Amino acid sequence: MDNRLLGLLVVFAPLSLLSFGGGQAIVADMQYQMVDVHGYLSNQQFSDLFAVSRAAPGPSTLIAALIGYQVAGIWGALFSCVAVFLPSSLLVYGIASWWQKHRVSPMKNAVERGLAPVAIGLIFAGALAVIRAAHVGPLELATLALCCGLFYFTKVGSYTIVFSVAAAFFVIHMVV
Amino acid sequence: MDAQEEAVTKHTATLSQVLISFLKIGGSAFGGSTQALVFRETVERRHWMTDQQFLAGQAIAQVLPGANPVNLALYVGLKVRGGLGAIAAVMGMIAPAFCIILVMGFAYRELSGLSATHFVLGGVAAAGVGATLAMGFKMVRKMPRKIWPAVIALAVFGAIGLFRMPMIPVVLIAVPLSIAAAYFDARRTP
Repeated sequence: MDNRLLGLLVVFAPLSLLSFGGGQAIVADMQYQMVDVHGYLSNQQFSDLFAVSRAAPGPSTLIAALIGYQVAGIWGALFSCVAVFLPSSLLVYGIASWWQKHRVSPMKNAVERGLAPVAIGLIFAGALAVIRAAHVGPLELATLALCCGLFYFTKVGSYTIVFSVAAAFFVIHMVV
Repeated sequence: MDAQEEAVTKHTATLSQVLISFLKIGGSAFGGSTQALVFRETVERRHWMTDQQFLAGQAIAQVLPGANPVNLALYVGLKVRGGLGAIAAVMGMIAPAFCIILVMGFAYRELSGLSATHFVLGGVAAAGVGATLAMGFKMVRKMPRKIWPAVIALAVFGAIGLFRMPMIPVVLIAVPLSIAAAYFDARRTP
């Protein structure tokens, strides 16, 4: 098998089982593995692909397919997609079957409440990883703060926000 | 499942209905709207499950690793049509978005030589980080005001975000500790 396909599998399959709360949680390690460990992508490429994945529909975990496509073409995309979804899906399959037969227990509650702080830590680590990979200047920092506020305080659709930002940056690039 | 729930849900789903329902959702779900679309399609329109059953599925989808919409699709598919239903639902949820993101990946390859591409994507990435942070802050707000969740969240963030430690060992240590803390905390303050 192509080394790169194998590399994608080895990176994404374990991360699949760690993606608590979805793809956001594993962005930090994806960046580390793809850029620093394997050298498949530059920081610039990683940050670009993160942005593309934010502008695409569907689960944010699909950033794995996007990275796979960039690293090893269409087969890379397919391998990465399977690697990032199959392990977690098998786990959910097993637990959902069990869950649909059993009632609430203190242990089930503890698992639910115990995973939340870990997920929060991972989410902030992921945000920091993208900030590190991207070249964040004053304009980007202001955009980040503004969008954070919009997402936190308002119900403006994420597509409205993302495409407005893209349009604004395009105009700024043309003018300046 | 008890008799009452059994009576409310109609188990008349065919495999192709499951596939078509989730293809529709997967092709039209933007941003955080997926769960609402799944609810409308499977509970309100097709009556495949009750509100309670849907909420239980949502909890599992959120707690376990994996993308929430994909996990939720799997749960619903499994419920209404067994193992094959789960596969059909997950395929339906992923396939449309996968095709779209391939087209976007292709476009990125073609356009990545332009300086405008990087500049615009830099702005979009900043917006994406803003969205990620907002999600993190919303989850922080929902946390119980206690010391142990804060310590765990900060430790995980510090280890992976600041000190760049590998994620797998950090999570493998943090998860059991955190679940144990939640368990004993609940026993101490019932």
